[in-house]
Amino acid sequence: MSAIVVENLSRNFVTTTGTIRRTQKTVTALDNVSLAVEPGELFGLLGPNGAGKTTLTRILSTVLLPTSGRAEVLGLDVVRDTKKLRPRIGMVYGGERGLYWRLSGRDNIQYFADLYLVPPEVSRKRIPELLELVGLKDRAEERVEGYSRGMKQRLHIARGLINDPDVLFLDEPTIGLDPIAARELRTVIADLHKAGKTIFLTSHYMYEVDALCQRVAVVNKGQIVMTDTPSALKQLVANLEVVEVECLSVTPEAMSRLRAHPRVDAVHIDNRDQVQVLQIQAPGGVEFVPEFLQLLDGASIQKVVTRQPTLEDAYVKLLGKDALSV
Amino acid sequence: MISNLPGLLRVTAASFKMQAKERATNQFFIGTLLITPVIFTILSVGTYIYGGRANFGLYAVIGAGMMGVWNANLWTSGRIVEGERRGGTLSMLVAAPTPFPVVLVGKSLSNAAASLISMAVTFATGLIVFRLPLDIANPFAFIVSLLLTLAAMTSFGLVLGAFFVLTRNAGAFIEVTNYPIFILSGLMFPLTILPLWLRPLSAALAPMWGNLALGTAAGLVAGNPWLIDLYLIGLSLVYLMIARPLFVRIEHRVRRDGSLEVF
Repeated sequence: MSAIVVENLSRNFVTTTGTIRRTQKTVTALDNVSLAVEPGELFGLLGPNGAGKTTLTRILSTVLLPTSGRAEVLGLDVVRDTKKLRPRIGMVYGGERGLYWRLSGRDNIQYFADLYLVPPEVSRKRIPELLELVGLKDRAEERVEGYSRGMKQRLHIARGLINDPDVLFLDEPTIGLDPIAARELRTVIADLHKAGKTIFLTSHYMYEVDALCQRVAVVNKGQIVMTDTPSALKQLVANLEVVEVECLSVTPEAMSRLRAHPRVDAVHIDNRDQVQVLQIQAPGGVEFVPEFLQLLDGASIQKVVTRQPTLEDAYVKLLGKDALSV
Repeated sequence: MISNLPGLLRVTAASFKMQAKERATNQFFIGTLLITPVIFTILSVGTYIYGGRANFGLYAVIGAGMMGVWNANLWTSGRIVEGERRGGTLSMLVAAPTPFPVVLVGKSLSNAAASLISMAVTFATGLIVFRLPLDIANPFAFIVSLLLTLAAMTSFGLVLGAFFVLTRNAGAFIEVTNYPIFILSGLMFPLTILPLWLRPLSAALAPMWGNLALGTAAGLVAGNPWLIDLYLIGLSLVYLMIARPLFVRIEHRVRRDGSLEVF
């Protein structure tokens, strides 16, 4: 039996605009989504902002109801069987909200241990273990308001594990963290997976999904675009080479010329600090570097490298222009 | 739910403790608990004394005390739900295995217990500022009535708390309803000056019956305080019976509308 089953799930939100003449608008956050996650699997849901990742996580963790379709976690219906399901799942949402800032880290975990009806003799043992796991043992008595963002996020993880859940939902857990804090958190997630937890991870960081997940579903505009292993997704771009051009002042016209080149499959532009990084996907791309640079006439070229494609390139190929919002 | 009664009592106690700890770090709440009752007492008792009705002094002290209890209990209950929503914890509490009303009961009881401090401050103000003789005719009945009043107010807070989960303006709602509740419950002026058509509304309000029970136990109002205490118990049960299905429906509605995290 799969740990998570989602069949033809849709979710609409109704929003209202105007003050006197109010008009309603229906926004589709999830559109006929189907997927399955096996027990013990670390499954990733990858997509740009607004793709529907958080909505799906909220539905599976019983916070939201679907508009139509069906979803089961551990064989329990997320709409009807909430009483049986809630003690068996854990959820960790990204960001700094969701904690009692005026209380200590230990008080926060202890409170959720009580809410999840964890027996006192179990919580007495488990709370120090979890604080150790997330590296907060020495700061546990301090108020959360004094924690860094990374510490708050690690406290979220400890809180989400207090009931020793069979399935853990992690919604963009590394969002906004500095690279070191994000790497530490990924280590914690990998350890949890090794310990046998089923983990449903949403992210818009390709390398995170590539490093952690056994399978990944790419979601865009509420629909699943593709579900497979990270390496199978990379196969989509296996015959390509990626030319990365770090430059300044690239014009839209230059981008159009580049995209029109017969050997170019896709071009993704990434703004990093003050430079623009063009990722040009092309079979045998290395041979065409001089031509590409010629098409970028007017731009100030800083650096050119060629590399093998990654999951990010597969993602760019799958989502096209929508990948730009990542 | 009954099968895990020890667990649910533990959640109530944990929520009680949690709220007390949070309150201890909130200077604004400490102000509500200690300063507001002084202001209410001075205004209320002063109005009667300078209006030539000094014999209403104790009545005014009890009324002011009840206003303090309302503020500390209901006002903060509204703030609890609003604060949880803003802090992002409301969705986690609703999605926890424990029914959310149990959490709210623990937190509201915590505020109710704190509101006893407010009542004590009121009596102390009456004694120190106005040198009012605080002769309570039946102290035992007074204490029982006070505890039952707190229980009724907590149950009433539970009904309101259900609506507070729906709205993102719980605090504003409480602000707007504060003085109408004070007037309708006879906390500021005797109920006899209210028009007849308004009185049925008063009968549904826990503060009105609490005030009456305390006034009767203090010997200010003719009647049997124990009978009014029975009414307070009945009223609490009615509130609880309303609150239970209300929370089930409201939880379904907020999950349907996706409004738990909107503020």
